[in-house]
Amino acid sequence: MKFLLLSVVFFSFYFSAVQAQSKLPALDKSPMDMSYFPNRYPVLKIQNKVNEPPVARVIYSRPQKMGRVIFGELIEYGKVWRLGANEATEIEFFQDVKINDNKIKKGRYSMYCIPYEAKWTIIINKDNDIWGSFKYDEKNDLARMDIAVQKQSEITEEFVMSFDKTDTGANLVIAWDNIKLDLPIVF
Amino acid sequence: MFLKKIAAVVTIVFITVSFFSCEPKANTVPGESTKLRNPLSVKDSVILSIDKSPMDMSYFPEDYPQQKMITPDMPNPVARVIYSRPQKNGRVIFADTSVTQNLIQHYGQEWRMGANEATEIEFFKEVSIGGKKIPAGRYIMYCIPYPDKWTIILNQNLYSWGLHIDKTKDLVEIELPVIKNNVVIEYFTMLFQNSTYGCELVMAWGDVKVVMPVNFN
Repeated sequence: MKFLLLSVVFFSFYFSAVQAQSKLPALDKSPMDMSYFPNRYPVLKIQNKVNEPPVARVIYSRPQKMGRVIFGELIEYGKVWRLGANEATEIEFFQDVKINDNKIKKGRYSMYCIPYEAKWTIIINKDNDIWGSFKYDEKNDLARMDIAVQKQSEITEEFVMSFDKTDTGANLVIAWDNIKLDLPIVF
Repeated sequence: MFLKKIAAVVTIVFITVSFFSCEPKANTVPGESTKLRNPLSVKDSVILSIDKSPMDMSYFPEDYPQQKMITPDMPNPVARVIYSRPQKNGRVIFADTSVTQNLIQHYGQEWRMGANEATEIEFFKEVSIGGKKIPAGRYIMYCIPYPDKWTIILNQNLYSWGLHIDKTKDLVEIELPVIKNNVVIEYFTMLFQNSTYGCELVMAWGDVKVVMPVNFN
């Protein structure tokens, strides 16, 4: 009888343990990351090398190529893509900026694209905190712009978004597989 | 006698199941293989490989972005935390200063609760923590861990790397008891869960967890 009791106790522990474990998220296959402009802003900040707030930051997920053909196959041409994985990509501007002559007010936005072979339509949308592009609603678009696709000789294994300084502000560089795009941000 | 037999069988089955079921998650660490740490291919850009301690985020209500897909008219989320997820990797996570090797964090010293950038918490409406009203907005979080309690601090030095804390920007401090886990959690984890007074932010790693109550006023 004691043994039975012990087993029951053991069992209840087991289930609570499993429950606790399964409730916690495993490490994501397409981990999240974030990029600032100026680049590495948080490090510059603790080194007292910046006084101004950052200009922009993007929060996105990083799927990997893993031997697959990405554009035209894994990601179909002509369909809205969340620019990454999981939650829709989020871009935040800490001041008003201009992208391709579109005025973008300081704030937090979702970002999508519609990829084609030679160009992508980049979309800035006002609906935040949303998963993927499944419920993407064109009515909430703030700006749409066509950006040329640049072929790369080297392969980018992990989808990446990062800012590059330019004479007029910064480019948001978007790269995966054998292509890259520069989204010009003026400020 | 019969009961004893049943009990024995049950115990054996259970031990076998637990042996197999508790194991897997830790082995699949994406981005850890050298194959994925490829050369950087976009020239003149600061482009990094997948981070060893990848970033993640948790919302309250739980899984808010997924829920919003089903119910598009959901009110705004209440909170979200953005943090990085270091792995235990066989190391000791917390110990006193006599331990110097194979250790992640000393007791009594500030810890960014994750890795890389300071952990960021955002409230989309006013809440209360430790009896203090916290206006809607963005904050960073860090803690000072001890064996039996953690001091959790909300601070206003936003967009900073987690290694240097500017204490002049502390906003609120709360002491919370350490709770022992039944299982060892490989990845540092932060997530929100429901409570009667609002929600709780659970912070768990190794064999301990701490739960921070967040009151919705």
